[in-house]
Amino acid sequence: MTALRWIVLVGMTGALVLFPALFEPVLRPFAPAGGPVIYDRATLAGLTASHLMLVMLAMVPSTLIALALAILVTRPAGAEFLPTARMLANIGQTFPPVAVLALSVPLLGFGTRPTVLALFLYGLLPIFENALAGLRGVPGSVLLSARAVGMTPRQMLVQVEMPLALPLILEGIRISVVIALSTATIGSTVAARSLGEVIIAGLTSNNPAFVIQGGVLTGCIAVLVYDVFGLLILAARRPAATARIRSRG
Amino acid sequence: MIEIEALTKTYGGRPVVDGVTARFARGTLTAIVGSSGSGKTTLLRMINRLVEPSAGRVLIDGKDVARIPEVSLRQGIGYVIQGYGLFPHWTAARNIGVVPTLLGWPRSRIKARTQELLHMLQLDPAEIGPRYPHQLSGGQAQRIGVARALAARPEVLLMDEPFGALDPLIRRQAQRDLTRIRRQLGTTVVLVTHDMNEALYLGDAIAVMRDGRFEQFGPPEDIVRAPATPFVADLVGETGRALRLLALKPVGTLLRAGQAQGDPVDAAASLSDALAEMIWTGRDRLPVVDGRGQGLGIVTRDDILAAGRQAPPA
Repeated sequence: MTALRWIVLVGMTGALVLFPALFEPVLRPFAPAGGPVIYDRATLAGLTASHLMLVMLAMVPSTLIALALAILVTRPAGAEFLPTARMLANIGQTFPPVAVLALSVPLLGFGTRPTVLALFLYGLLPIFENALAGLRGVPGSVLLSARAVGMTPRQMLVQVEMPLALPLILEGIRISVVIALSTATIGSTVAARSLGEVIIAGLTSNNPAFVIQGGVLTGCIAVLVYDVFGLLILAARRPAATARIRSRG
Repeated sequence: MIEIEALTKTYGGRPVVDGVTARFARGTLTAIVGSSGSGKTTLLRMINRLVEPSAGRVLIDGKDVARIPEVSLRQGIGYVIQGYGLFPHWTAARNIGVVPTLLGWPRSRIKARTQELLHMLQLDPAEIGPRYPHQLSGGQAQRIGVARALAARPEVLLMDEPFGALDPLIRRQAQRDLTRIRRQLGTTVVLVTHDMNEALYLGDAIAVMRDGRFEQFGPPEDIVRAPATPFVADLVGETGRALRLLALKPVGTLLRAGQAQGDPVDAAASLSDALAEMIWTGRDRLPVVDGRGQGLGIVTRDDILAAGRQAPPA
């Protein structure tokens, strides 16, 4: 069942990216009479690649900074920064990406940079809050033991806290990445190269076939990435999962 | 030897441990008994500096622990807590090996030590070693916790309610294990408990703690025979004190030369067990044998009754 899901998902995404012409019969009814059915102003493979690149450029720093903040505020010395860190992450999340684009274009110019900034800010909160929950969820008795056996604070973080928080941290990254994958489409309003280009082309030329093509492909990639993270989380969780539930009970 | 000098910890001006001075001899087990909030856990944690004292100091073998770097101090002191606090993402074997690993022992030596400890605690290394904590029973997890604390051969072992989460049968077994291991290793143990019976059973010395102070500190016999305060008397219990006293002493302490009929009693058995045997079989003297069944002499009812009598007021 899951194998079938993977085959369908990978097959569908691959076909949409590499052989868009295959879908012409399906999309034909949505295109205006006589108009183009398949987007051909750029290859979908190229757009997909730069779409993924946008997301990567935003998510790597977003993850690093959100994780660093979560680690900082869970240290005794950094506890007082919790409200500040929370506020920062919240502002990032509540400020609409479109508004970030509009405000940052005058400063950063058109294209990739404002888009990456918008995605970066939007991604901070889920990663931060999940990492925080993960780090705080480490049972007190385990932390006490780690101190009592003579671990340094760094050893505690690396050997105990991070591995135990990892499933939740990955969960946060997954949420942010999936949101970023769909949100990246609006980057094309400020001329960033992304799959949004196809959707916007469809909107401006009144061609729903383009909108569907761009939308479905973006959706497929998002679901695929979601599932890949699911595997990672499962792997991170395997030895510890039930143990944590028990030691809390 | 552990020496505690005027040790004090205050939280928000309120003393939790209030100027305690005491000395725990090398190789003995001291049981600190008290109800929750008495400060017993705080006192224990000041020994390995999980809690820093507000005043006073702790000396281990003459060395002020405040001068030993926290990390190396703790690596040299075993610590067992009630929930065991096993690392849930590590196997039992890796949990046991954590301090040797931190100390940088070679892998082969860690493995050998882990196996040795599992054997000592009567666990099969091949079966239990690769298990994760959630795959262990309560009794097994408790033993892994003890093994982890003993891994780097510490001179001092601190135990905070180590048997609190076990059901009564397994608790008995775990207490016997502790007695056996302690005899084998000669480790100095400080154990915190709220259970006076456990303290009387395990302790060479007992400290009764209340409101951050030691109400009484002495051998179990003194605690039972002459409770220093009503609180101590209350903990010991008013009834059955004579029998409790007799339960503390082995038959070997009242040995006499002579002959007696019937089944013998082991010299290591308690006087209360010997008395029960006398009542049950209607005898007034029992032959005493050592662990190998060799006759040592006799124990008489009169001697036992005298040993259980209240001490004359001083």
